[in-house]
Amino acid sequence: MSHAILHATGLAKSYGSTTALSNLDLAVTQGESLAIMGASGSGKTTLLHVLAGITKPDSGHVLFAASGGPLEVAALGETERSRLRREEFGFVFQSGLLIPELTALENVALALMLTGVSRAVAEREGTSWLAQLGLAGMEDRRIGQLSGGQAQRVAIARALVTGASVIFADEPTGALDSRTGAEVMDALLASTVGQGRTLIVVTHDATVAARCSRTVHMRDGVLVDAEIAA
Amino acid sequence: MILRIAWMLARPSATGVATVALPLVAFATVTALLLTVIGGAQTFFSWSDGDAIIYQASAVIALVLLVVPLTSLGAAASRLSARRRDDRLATLRLLGASPATVAAITVLESVAVALAGAVVGVGVYLAAAPLIGLIPFRGEALGAGVLLPPLAVLAVLGGVALLAAASAVLGLRRVIISPLGVRLRQDTPRPHWIRVVVAIAVIVATNVVMGIIGALEVLVILNVLAVGFGGTLLVLGLIGPWVLRMVARRQAKRAATPERLLAARSILESPKAAWAQVGGVAMTSFMAVFAGSAVGLLEALGEDGENPFLYGDIRTGVIITVVASFLMVACSVGVNQAASILDRADLYSSLARLGMPVATMESARRRAVMSPLRITSIGSAVVAAVVVFPLTGAAILFAPLSLVMIALVLAAGIALVWFGLLATRPVLERAAILP
Repeated sequence: MSHAILHATGLAKSYGSTTALSNLDLAVTQGESLAIMGASGSGKTTLLHVLAGITKPDSGHVLFAASGGPLEVAALGETERSRLRREEFGFVFQSGLLIPELTALENVALALMLTGVSRAVAEREGTSWLAQLGLAGMEDRRIGQLSGGQAQRVAIARALVTGASVIFADEPTGALDSRTGAEVMDALLASTVGQGRTLIVVTHDATVAARCSRTVHMRDGVLVDAEIAA
Repeated sequence: MILRIAWMLARPSATGVATVALPLVAFATVTALLLTVIGGAQTFFSWSDGDAIIYQASAVIALVLLVVPLTSLGAAASRLSARRRDDRLATLRLLGASPATVAAITVLESVAVALAGAVVGVGVYLAAAPLIGLIPFRGEALGAGVLLPPLAVLAVLGGVALLAAASAVLGLRRVIISPLGVRLRQDTPRPHWIRVVVAIAVIVATNVVMGIIGALEVLVILNVLAVGFGGTLLVLGLIGPWVLRMVARRQAKRAATPERLLAARSILESPKAAWAQVGGVAMTSFMAVFAGSAVGLLEALGEDGENPFLYGDIRTGVIITVVASFLMVACSVGVNQAASILDRADLYSSLARLGMPVATMESARRRAVMSPLRITSIGSAVVAAVVVFPLTGAAILFAPLSLVMIALVLAAGIALVWFGLLATRPVLERAAILP
């Protein structure tokens, strides 16, 4: 039976006089793909940041069902939240934000090395993930030598290589044309929910949201409705 | 119109005070050091006896040695200035401002920051003058002779402003300010191995010449040494980026931790840029070993000549030049690093989101600067020791303390640069800060 891997209750966050989140509740089920939609300034990126432990809410709770037992994300200190993001979560950003001077393989392996894994093992795992994402033979290419879609696949491999159970993606196809965007979404879905992981996507793009199993809409820091894909 | 826009853009930005403070401190340091060295030289040029020419020549060499770190510092400060305003300058381009207008605003701002720093530098120089006046040359304190006339001080201020303007123009050639933002041109050709062949040939030739000149008169020796010195400096400039690249390549292959891998790759990205940042110390390290061992040896052998203070004085001059050179490199590193962090603010922020500790980013950055610096300063010292091997060999035997002192001064210089790097940590912390 499915259960909530992330459970947020009563989340509130303000930046000065601007309310980004207001008494928001949300449960994310393990293995689902959740799209968060909304206009600019609706609070969707803040919600993603709070769920991922990047930002601390002003009030409210985020309970994460970690492999070692439940964790109250919002109550953790910065060091513990950094460790949580390194070891349990994966991230894919709009423009990849890969390290340009590293090769594709080094970008992926670096994420694993940060958790204390040796370089040899990290590169073996990285090679395997790059191959799964259709990038075999491109390990030694620098980021500038890859197309936008290929770079985004490297970013996906980097997010997955640590064995993360939840992947957060912020406009993962926002910088790509529609065809490449669709291919990247195929790769993202297959490598996350296709393997029992949870995917949370912030997007403006209705076609991206339509690929997810559930979509929630935000306005002025609150969830206004929810749709479950047929 | 340009003045009005520049004034509007001069308001504080979100990147914090460090990006203004760093170039300001850098130019203050440059001005204070320049005035101090020129002040000292002024004292030497008031002498007219037989030994005066040696002091005057040494002062000119010291000034020349300081020009390289000085210009690289000016360029770094201008680059930071462009980075600090990149979003606003890009907006101006979007609004239709021509590249020439944007360049003029950047140059104007660089000059304004340089002048403000230079004025602070004059204050530092005046405050430090009584202490500098205590430094003894020829057995007597320099005294009030280090104080320059107001016109000379104004000339230095003008010179620093001109340098800032020239560096800003040159710096901007490497930066493209497009309507969609500012970015660095990615033209980083690899240093070719042929540089090493040329370098070895020059080292061997210089070594042979040095072996022949032993019995000549002091002034002739000085002239030949100057040629050898110049030749070897040329070699260092040729070989430096290539050596940095080879060492970094090996480090990248063997890197077992994220910070080591990042540091090595960062150097490999542009060995020439890594060299440009720290290359200024190559010359001073080279000169420190060169002059230090000669002076130490002559002193140990009791070759006092007519002036019993000459060798001690040269040693004092060497130490002052080395410290001044490292101070400038420290400022240059600080300013360059601040610019580099601003260039990559998005990346640092994303790495923090991925869970990379700021300490890891800081460590990678430190290694990327300190490793080339160590290679450059120690490597140049070793090249100097090889070029004048009979001299350094004898110095090891007869004047080991002299060499120990050189090593200590170089170590202190490296520590200075480390502090310069440390000063930019707040910029990194601000860039990596999470929302």
